[in-house]
Amino acid sequence: MSFAIKKQSEVVVVDVEGQLIVGNRQELKQKVLDELERGERKFLIDFSQTGYIDSSGLGVLVSLSKKIREQGGELRLANLNEDLKTLFELTKLDTLFQIADTRERALETF
Amino acid sequence: MPRLNSVLAGFHDVTGCASTVFLREETGKLRIYAMAPETATDTSWVPTLGSGPPTVVESPDGLVIIAVVPGPQRLWLAVGPCSRSTTSLDRFLHFLLPVVSQLLQSSLEAEHAANELAERYEEINLLYSISEILGRSVAEEDTAATILREVSDTVGARRGSILVYSADTNSLRPIASRGVDVAELQPIHLNDACSLSAAAFRDQRVILAEGDDGACPAEAPYRRGSILTLPIMWTPPEGGTAQPLGVVNLSDRASRRIFSAGDQKLLMAIATQIGTAIQNARLVRASLEQQRLLHEMGLAHDLQMTLLPRSSAVAPEADVAARVTPAESVGGDFYHLFRLSEARTGVMLGDVSGHGYRAALIMALAMSASAIHAQANADPGAMLAALLSTLSEELSSTEMFISAFYAVIDRAQSTLHFGNAGHPHAFVIAADGTTERLAAIDPPLGMVDVPPSANARPWESASDLLLLFTDGVTDAVNANGERYGEQRVLDLVRTHRAEKPATIIDHIFQALDVHKGDEPLLDDAACVVVRS
Repeated sequence: MSFAIKKQSEVVVVDVEGQLIVGNRQELKQKVLDELERGERKFLIDFSQTGYIDSSGLGVLVSLSKKIREQGGELRLANLNEDLKTLFELTKLDTLFQIADTRERALETF
Repeated sequence: MPRLNSVLAGFHDVTGCASTVFLREETGKLRIYAMAPETATDTSWVPTLGSGPPTVVESPDGLVIIAVVPGPQRLWLAVGPCSRSTTSLDRFLHFLLPVVSQLLQSSLEAEHAANELAERYEEINLLYSISEILGRSVAEEDTAATILREVSDTVGARRGSILVYSADTNSLRPIASRGVDVAELQPIHLNDACSLSAAAFRDQRVILAEGDDGACPAEAPYRRGSILTLPIMWTPPEGGTAQPLGVVNLSDRASRRIFSAGDQKLLMAIATQIGTAIQNARLVRASLEQQRLLHEMGLAHDLQMTLLPRSSAVAPEADVAARVTPAESVGGDFYHLFRLSEARTGVMLGDVSGHGYRAALIMALAMSASAIHAQANADPGAMLAALLSTLSEELSSTEMFISAFYAVIDRAQSTLHFGNAGHPHAFVIAADGTTERLAAIDPPLGMVDVPPSANARPWESASDLLLLFTDGVTDAVNANGERYGEQRVLDLVRTHRAEKPATIIDHIFQALDVHKGDEPLLDDAACVVVRS
C-alpha cells in the first residue's frame, strides 16, 4: 500500500496502490493536504491500481473533496474498477465527485 | 576455650609456671583469651606486642616471657612466672608454644568457619526474602522499598536509595530510599555530570566513592561518607544482552568500614535480583491494567448491546430478527425498530464510518435521536433529514458519516416507504425469489448538506422479506483474503426465504463464520431480516 504523487501539467496526480482503508487513509489525507497547503488546487486520484476502498477510505475522499473545494480547487477521481464503480453508485457517492474513466480524460478537461 | 584452658592448667601442674594467651581484638584492645591458673585480669603491664622474637617482661607477679603465636598475628602466649622451677622460661616457652599454636589453629579455623556460615546465612536469608518479594504481586515502589530495607540491613547501611530509569524524561527517578523520605529526592538527569548514579547507569559499572569523593548535591540526602553505587541490570528471560533498569545506592555504614570486594560481589548479585523484581512488578502491573481494560471493554460492549431494541418490540405486526457483531468490543453498526401508529413498523439500519469507541459514541447519539424523530416524522426521508440535522455538527467535527437506511412498512396500505442515505445493501425478496435492490437515494449522512428524500414501493404482507446488512458482512475476508460478498448473502436468503427471519439470520451468520474461519472481522457486521 503506497501513494505515488507526481505533477502532470497543473494537476497533482495521486496513484493509490493496493487498498485505501482505515489503516492508511490518514497518510493519503496528509499527503494531499500538504500539496494543498503548498498552493496546488487541481487534484486527480487514480485508482487503476486499487483493489478495495473501505468506508473510512470513502470518508477521507469526501473530506478531501470538501477541503479542496473550500480553497477553490477541485478533486477528480479516475480509473475506478467495476467493484469500486458499483460501490460509488450504491452509496450515491458518484453524485459527489467528478469521476472519469481514464486518467487522460480527467486531465484533458481540467 | 575449655581445651586450651585445661592444657594450660596441666602445664602449670607439671612445671609450676603460669601461662596466659592474649588476644588483640579488632579494635586494638588486648584481652585475656585463656589462662591458668586464674589470677588477675589486668593487662595494663603488657607491653606493645609485635611479631618480633620473644621478650622477657616484669609482670606484677614476676618475670614473664611473651611470644607471638604463629598464625594470624592476633594471639600471644605468655609463660611465667614460675613458682618452683629453675629451668629458664625460654625453654618452657619453646615447649608450650607449638602445643598452644596447634590448638588455637584448629579452634580458630572452627571459629572462622562458624563466622563464615553466619555471614552466608545472612546472605541466604536476604536472597530468600528477595525471592519471596519476587513472588508477590506488588507495585514497583513497594518491591523496591522492601528490597532496599533488606539489603541495607544486611550490609549495615543507614542511608541508601533505589532509582529507576524513565525513558520519557531521560532521568533516574527515586522510588525507594532509606534515611530520608523518598518524596524529598529529586530525579537525576542521565546527563548530570556530577551524579554517581547517572555515571553508574550510563557506564553500567559499580562505583565506590570513599569519604567525600564525587560529592553531588542531588545525592547528598542519602549519602554520608563513602557510597557504593551499583547499576540494576535485567536480562530478558528469552536471553539477549542485559539492560540497565536503574541504580541502587548504599551509604553510611554503621560499622564505618568500607565496602569490601566481597560486599560488592554480593551486592552485584542482589542488584540483578532487584532488576528481576522490578521488571516482574512492572509486568504484573501491565497485566492488571490490561485485565481492567478488557473488563471495561466488555462492559462497554454489553452496554452498547443493551441500546439495541428487542425484536419483540414490534411484534406481532412484524416478525423481525436482527444481529450486530462489532469488530472491536464496541462498534458503529446499529439497527432500530419502531412500533408506529396504525400498525406501521419502522426499521432502521445504520453504519457509522470506522469502528471502535468514536463510532460507538456517534452510534449511541444516532440511536437516541432516531427514536425521537421516527415518532415525529411519518415520512422516512423527513426522519433521516431530522436525524442529519441533529447529528451534523458531531459528524462534521469528527469527520465521520453514517450510511443509514430507514423503512416504514404499512401492512394496511401494503406499502413500504424508505429513505436510503448511502446504504448499499438493502433488498426486498418476494415469495417467488424475485429480488429488488432498494438503492441509495442520497449519499451517506454527513457527506452533503442536502436533506435526504424517500421512495415507495408495494409490500406483500406476510410474504415479502426486507433484508438489510452492512458492509462488515460482505467485506469479511477468509485466510486467502477473499471477501464474503453480497451475492452469497442473497443466494443464501433466497434459498431459505420461506423460513422464519430468526432462522434466516442464523444461516447468514453461520455461513459467515465458516467463510472467515479464524480471521478477525475487520468491520462491524450487522443484519436485519423483516417479515410483516
